[in-house]
Amino acid sequence: MTALLTLNGLSKRFGGLTAVQGLDMELHEGVITALVGPNGAGKTTLFNLVTGNLTPDAGEVTLAGRTITGMAPHRVARLGIARSFQDLRLFTHMSVRDNVLASIERRAWLWQARGGSARRDATEAALERTGLLSLGRARAVDLSYAEAKFLSLARIMATGARIWLLDEPASGLDPASRRRFTALLRAAVAKGVTICLIEHNLDIVTEIADRIAFLDQGRKLAEGDPASIMRNPELRAIYFGERRE
Amino acid sequence: MTAYLLNLATLSAIFGILAVSLNMLVGYAGIFSMAHAVFFGLGAYAGAQIALQVIPDVLLAAIVAALFAAACSLCLALPALRVRGEYFVAASLGLQMLASTAFSQAQALTGGIGGLVGIPPPMLLGLDVSSAPAFLVVCLAFLALCLIGIRLLMRGSFGRSLMALRDSESAARAFGKDVAQLKTQAVAVGCAMAGLAGALFAFQEAFVNVESFTLEQSILVLAMVIIGGVGTLAGPLIGAVLLLLLPAGLSFLPFIPPTDIGSVQQLIYGLAMTLLMIFRPAGLAGRSVGQR
Repeated sequence: MTALLTLNGLSKRFGGLTAVQGLDMELHEGVITALVGPNGAGKTTLFNLVTGNLTPDAGEVTLAGRTITGMAPHRVARLGIARSFQDLRLFTHMSVRDNVLASIERRAWLWQARGGSARRDATEAALERTGLLSLGRARAVDLSYAEAKFLSLARIMATGARIWLLDEPASGLDPASRRRFTALLRAAVAKGVTICLIEHNLDIVTEIADRIAFLDQGRKLAEGDPASIMRNPELRAIYFGERRE
Repeated sequence: MTAYLLNLATLSAIFGILAVSLNMLVGYAGIFSMAHAVFFGLGAYAGAQIALQVIPDVLLAAIVAALFAAACSLCLALPALRVRGEYFVAASLGLQMLASTAFSQAQALTGGIGGLVGIPPPMLLGLDVSSAPAFLVVCLAFLALCLIGIRLLMRGSFGRSLMALRDSESAARAFGKDVAQLKTQAVAVGCAMAGLAGALFAFQEAFVNVESFTLEQSILVLAMVIIGGVGTLAGPLIGAVLLLLLPAGLSFLPFIPPTDIGSVQQLIYGLAMTLLMIFRPAGLAGRSVGQR
């Protein structure tokens, strides 16, 4: 299987704290990988290192064989890596439709960039698939929690990015919304999108993920299929705070 | 009386341009500048010098003033690229203080404390537009151009990108926006319009000095934007007209002694700002959260 994104010996320190330490990992095309681990395991830091929000102290990030280590976030995004945030970071005072449209208008000069109608079509398609079409004119700040979560996904869907990095995308959703959300991710993966998500709810992880990477204190302790990771008593103990010395 | 009203209307149009241009920075791009009067001043001095040294053509003066202010706007763009929020406010305050001193010291360019006097009456492509009604029409035409320009920009991808980085700079970056490029462009356009307003102001007053480009002026323009409605097209214009009419209106009230008008005006400003922030924080033309 082809590795689309490769992390090689990635390390990041914040003063005396080692957030990520010598981490190796691969994201494969059309596979959903879940990052699991207790708080402070380095999951979000890993996203920040991949997307250029943080520069690693050591190691390398390659996208389809091309080094993107330390590249500016907007350049990484333009290469086809889209991410969501745990706190969503919607463009709160803009309409739902403009949130999506703004997410795919990468090169905005004083004049209009070409391809406006294609971008509008992609926006409408993403809104329709996420069930937000009727809320197109509502402001993001006025959306319910579940609607905001779907908008966060719609922004990523519309970009056409090859890799989606999702930070707790389904947390707090009711079961019905969660099923819809999962179906959208599955549909994207079927079209070749590669997804890496951070999730605390192990039911969601089991339901969605093809692979799990278990992180603790900045290191990857295990990686494999969900069943084998979930069965591992050592990992369960760490995850549920029953750390064994 | 007619001359007085025409003067008030012309100043409203000029300050309308100034307020809508600041709104582009504050309301759309989230760049909370406290130094807008600097670019108003740069435009005024540039426009005055063109009128004094070359030709008193209002169009030429406005173009040169806008380009000059836009070129100088890098002074504002550089801190805007490095710091945000209250740190940028402090940096822009520093720029305002620096510029006020420079305006009063650069005798050869600005006339120093005394300013530039004797600015000749304006022409427009050879036409005499020095009469008060004609110059009002010129100023209103420039205001209309600025409003149309801002509306077109803000309804397009550039405006959406600015608003995106205003609402979440990190998310805007994550969606491929070059924040440095966007902020630089926004500051250049906003400051160019401020410069244009400055050139018109120079012709209107026939005299410019540093007193018109101080921190107080920057605060007044910011108040126009906030009271009218940040991030709206009409709001800053409403704010500009209101804050210019207020002192004029007060001067007609017989029970306020002329010497106390300044204090009463400050009291009303303060009270209006406080009440507005409590009851209508989005400004007179703004839309509150939950209001669809």
